[in-house]
Amino acid sequence: MMLRTSAMTTDTEVDLQGVVGNKTSAATGIAYGAELMSFAESIALRDEHSIVESRDGLLAAAGPAVLVDAAGVAANFQRMVRIADSIGLPFDYMDSTMVQEIQQELGLKRFASSRHSLHPDEG
Amino acid sequence: MTAFDFSALGFAVRRDIPEAYSAYWEVLAAPGNWWTGPERVAIADASREALSCEFCVLRKQSLSAYGVNGIHKNSGPLSGRVVDAVHRIITDQNRITQTFVDDNAANGLSKAAYVELVGIVVTVFSIDEFNRALGISLQPLPEPKPGEPSFELPDALVEDMGFVPTIPAHGATGKNADSWVPGSAANVVRALSLVPDAARGWQQIAGAQYLSLQGMQNLVQDDNRSINRMQMELIAGRVSAVNECFY
Repeated sequence: MMLRTSAMTTDTEVDLQGVVGNKTSAATGIAYGAELMSFAESIALRDEHSIVESRDGLLAAAGPAVLVDAAGVAANFQRMVRIADSIGLPFDYMDSTMVQEIQQELGLKRFASSRHSLHPDEG
Repeated sequence: MTAFDFSALGFAVRRDIPEAYSAYWEVLAAPGNWWTGPERVAIADASREALSCEFCVLRKQSLSAYGVNGIHKNSGPLSGRVVDAVHRIITDQNRITQTFVDDNAANGLSKAAYVELVGIVVTVFSIDEFNRALGISLQPLPEPKPGEPSFELPDALVEDMGFVPTIPAHGATGKNADSWVPGSAANVVRALSLVPDAARGWQQIAGAQYLSLQGMQNLVQDDNRSINRMQMELIAGRVSAVNECFY
């Protein structure tokens, strides 16, 4: 949701399919989008080989300052997903039309943790 | 204070990052609300062991979190129940249920102790993940400090979301007035508020790794960051999607 909101704020066209791993989509409207998406993905998958590869790719494309900030954001969300799931948090904005569209577009209701936010007859 | 040294990288790391990590290491070593310093550091150590726990691998592959029997890797002093909670948060977090938390509470791991444990596990994990992302060694854990937990609870609590009580959305007052900005008490901000120091711990690290609660209002670009908000949210979204996190 925040990707779409920040894109709307800056009047930038983005493709949310980047969030589910499409490199072309990730690069749409976002500088170094493909490299950032690959780096984030490798960290979340915790695959040593792909971390090295994606880190080298991001460093070569965007430089060390971007690499450091990207590592920070990825590490931050490795934490946030675990807070949400270990406490069973329901999503705050389930009534929002934009949120519902994003959930539909990305197929997020297939995730087991959606049970914290959906009524039993949804999903 | 423990110094986090990133000089081996060969390029600069924003100063606020090692400063925030070093400050957290001090907090980690000290007695908390429900755990002693040695117990808190042992929980942090267990969070690292989870990543090489063979039982966690087997359980993750099982259709049910209760479909396999086994014993976690556990070289420290913590009970099996505590280690199980730590390892689940690291390796199988999206199958944690209300029943799991309630069962722990009925068998000695209170909800408040669980919340403090969650805070330690996720905060240490995120600091470790930063190092792993940059390809550098993990920081040695701090020497525990002596002392007893405070066993302190917030004055007002509600049970209106999630598995544990929290401070109500309008309840960030008095000693806990710094917990969130009035009117912007997102569920994730309230999540660990049963132990306000646990919430403060991760929020201070988030302010360095991502954005402060106030900084999140800026949807364009923080002056102290080299990536803009869209770039940040692409990373956030991809990490969340790989972890199958609906939130």
